[in-house]
Amino acid sequence: MIQPQTYLNVADNSGARKLMCIRIIGASNRRYAHIGDVIVAVIKEAIPNTPLERSEVIRAVIVRTCKELKRNNGTIIRYDDNAAVVIDQEGNPKGTRVFGAIPRELRQLNFTKIVSLAPEVL
Amino acid sequence: MLAALRSRCSSLPSLLLKSPPSPSLLDQSWKLLGLSAPSFSSSAGGARDISEVLTVAEVEKILSDVKADNVIVIPTENQSCWADVTIIATGRSDWHLKNIAQSLVYRAKQKQRGEKHVMLPCVQGYDTKWIVIDYGKFVVHALDEKARVYFNLESLWTGEPSSANDNSDKDLQNAFVKVRPINNSKKKKPVQVSS
Repeated sequence: MIQPQTYLNVADNSGARKLMCIRIIGASNRRYAHIGDVIVAVIKEAIPNTPLERSEVIRAVIVRTCKELKRNNGTIIRYDDNAAVVIDQEGNPKGTRVFGAIPRELRQLNFTKIVSLAPEVL
Repeated sequence: MLAALRSRCSSLPSLLLKSPPSPSLLDQSWKLLGLSAPSFSSSAGGARDISEVLTVAEVEKILSDVKADNVIVIPTENQSCWADVTIIATGRSDWHLKNIAQSLVYRAKQKQRGEKHVMLPCVQGYDTKWIVIDYGKFVVHALDEKARVYFNLESLWTGEPSSANDNSDKDLQNAFVKVRPINNSKKKKPVQVSS
């Protein structure tokens, strides 16, 4: 359940460290974003000497949420943190590697690129 | 074909009931069934069979026909539970990349001519430097030259565990090298001597 003002970790090596969600893309009055949703976010913290800077507005895909993700077979997946991967307007990831476990629902939501960069797919 | 599908579907619930809830075991059972991913995964409905329509060898031939450069086929059965084979190819231009994707889709279409349900692979990032053609069991990545160097997918998928460890080791070593600024003080002394 990501909403505007939520802080997220960054799960890739793009150079950003912390994001703040400012808008959820997809509908005009949408409240919450879940895994696989695209959000507009501000970089609140960045690693120095990287292409991304603080207070830059970017797009990101949510890959992990504290709110549990339910599957049709009864499995429930719940992560310890809220994390996102920075993408550009075309949907290509900005970083070259994704860290941590990624749910395989992302593939179904047309983010195969992110899934293929991830070390572990749940 | 339909009968086979039905039998598969009917065998699914029983398998689910039998198998313990641990995800790894579940994955194995899915693999035994011959499915790339469980039914809740993506393009499972179509992709499950689209990978039977075209084989890896055929895809390789198509890629060579379209003159895609530097085609690499990486078996990733052990490393990932979501794709058995990863194929990486380089395109010379955006137009060439598009052609690669189109030819792969067209061939799948051609092969299924006359059938009731035509299943096509899932194409992502059509107008970008990195096009992914997802056949379910195997995935074709068509990249621009620069993008290929940037993302370096080969190093990720070939010998992933070792390379990952190596990288982390290198990072660690670099970090340690940077952490020893004490040597700088020693360096200053000879400068003083020389001056």
